[in-house]
Amino acid sequence: MSRNAEQWMNRPKFPSSHFVDSRIYTDESIFREEQQKVFNGSWIIGCHESELPGAFDYRTFTHPTGTPLILVRGEDQRVRAFYNVCPHRGNTLLYDPVGNAKRITCIFHQWSFDTKGNCVDITREDQGFQKRYCKADAGLREVRAEIGYGGFVWVNLDDNACTLKEYIGDALSMLEEYMSMPLEVFHYHKAIVHTNYKLWHDTNSEFYHDYLHYFNRVTGMMQPGYFDRKYTGYPNGHASVGSMTIKYDAYEGSKERGVGWPGLAPGGWILIDIFPAMTFNLRTSVLRMDTSIPLGPNKLLIEFRGLGLKSDTPEERTQRVRDHNTIWGPFGRNLHEDLLAVHGQGRAMQPGSEATWILHGREENMTIHDEGGMRHFYAEWSKRMEREAFDPHGDRQVETVA
Amino acid sequence: MQPDRIAIEELVYRSCLALDAMDYKGYLSLCDDSFRYTVMALSPEIRKDMVWLDHDKKEMTLLFNNLPRHNSDHSPLARHANVYTVETATDGKSAAVVSALQVYKTTLDGGATELFAIGRYLDTVSLEGDAPRLAKRIVRLETRQFGFGYHVPF
Repeated sequence: MSRNAEQWMNRPKFPSSHFVDSRIYTDESIFREEQQKVFNGSWIIGCHESELPGAFDYRTFTHPTGTPLILVRGEDQRVRAFYNVCPHRGNTLLYDPVGNAKRITCIFHQWSFDTKGNCVDITREDQGFQKRYCKADAGLREVRAEIGYGGFVWVNLDDNACTLKEYIGDALSMLEEYMSMPLEVFHYHKAIVHTNYKLWHDTNSEFYHDYLHYFNRVTGMMQPGYFDRKYTGYPNGHASVGSMTIKYDAYEGSKERGVGWPGLAPGGWILIDIFPAMTFNLRTSVLRMDTSIPLGPNKLLIEFRGLGLKSDTPEERTQRVRDHNTIWGPFGRNLHEDLLAVHGQGRAMQPGSEATWILHGREENMTIHDEGGMRHFYAEWSKRMEREAFDPHGDRQVETVA
Repeated sequence: MQPDRIAIEELVYRSCLALDAMDYKGYLSLCDDSFRYTVMALSPEIRKDMVWLDHDKKEMTLLFNNLPRHNSDHSPLARHANVYTVETATDGKSAAVVSALQVYKTTLDGGATELFAIGRYLDTVSLEGDAPRLAKRIVRLETRQFGFGYHVPF
């Protein structure tokens, strides 16, 4: 039976933790608040250490708060992060996404900096500033950076935030043994989708949407053990899904992966979501890493990386690339389907459109089609935002259901 | 213009027309049994060449056959190729063909057209049969962002 307007907005008969108000995905004011309350103090992956192989190699990265950053390996091999902003007139220091710079020199007035963030040259310093301002006053703004958990370079804009280790806790413990050897990025691409970042993270936090993927239905869902996989929630909003075995040969044209991953059972699959918008996804022979960078309430940039072992032979690497791209590449079977689905959510939930309830109400003892992974995320989100996800503006007047 | 060049150019253009029309059998009929199709792009970000698809003729056939089983964007594509160079091998059995490629996407709802991708076809054309056939196609893409993506190769 269809519903009228009042019925449409009748609250679901779930506890308030089991649904959210769609305005958390569409409101500009909430998005701006998220940049400060959710992203500013979180550890975010900026790049992988293999993208900075040598001294003076750099990567630029726009943080989800909108802050432009430089990640650079110094002569001492330490990777540091700085605002990609000249302290003189606020110009961008490094324009290219990647490069090698012994000196970081602003094109505008040729102020120059070393890879420790020291200002090493102010053109016509004495003539202009007469000792009122000098190089010692003009260092770059350094941002906390740590390498860890598979060799990723993590950054945190909040000088007072907890350490990366404290932030992650035990959330990546299921993966750590598989990321103990040096890894290397072999695939990188970006996608901009008109959707909210949380909707992409939701997709990475629930497997009920395996129904979206013909490939997953035949290689995963039909296999013994599929429904035994369990979600585990960790402090700070992280969540993992236990391993299972994928029966690749159930998809015509696919086959048992020959390369595998050291220590991982053939066809194994482990997925871990890191709050607020990163996902580690180790599937058989490839580690995929998603990093979401929200550009607006309904605009999302996703960085996709595929990683193999640094020690790969050319033949092994070729197979990993192939395994990655047939499923997760830009023309892969699953990625387009996932992106199409969240694009559809963004299309249906336009900023300013009538709010609706988004359900996270499936309970299956925290097994694979339970929506507990999303509920765990929104509990942390609500805490940080000091807003309830089901009532972000305090106007829902939803009675509590025990 | 050499007579062979006309036939080779027509082969490239017919491959575009067949894919645009989603006539996959027609497309495969333009391909030699040894056909290999590869999509590549250079990532400046990781300083590496990337292989995004690498299929032989059998795998391309499977890809096409599996398309109806997947959820896909159904916006039609229009592939525009311009053959730049044709270099026939000294033995006359093959030719290396470089074409510029532009791919346009038109929305089903409203018919808005956008430039979807640019790149080049780097083709190896077999000249050994009764008509030129695609023996190898490398789609070397400049574009690396495709929004929510697409399932059908270029």
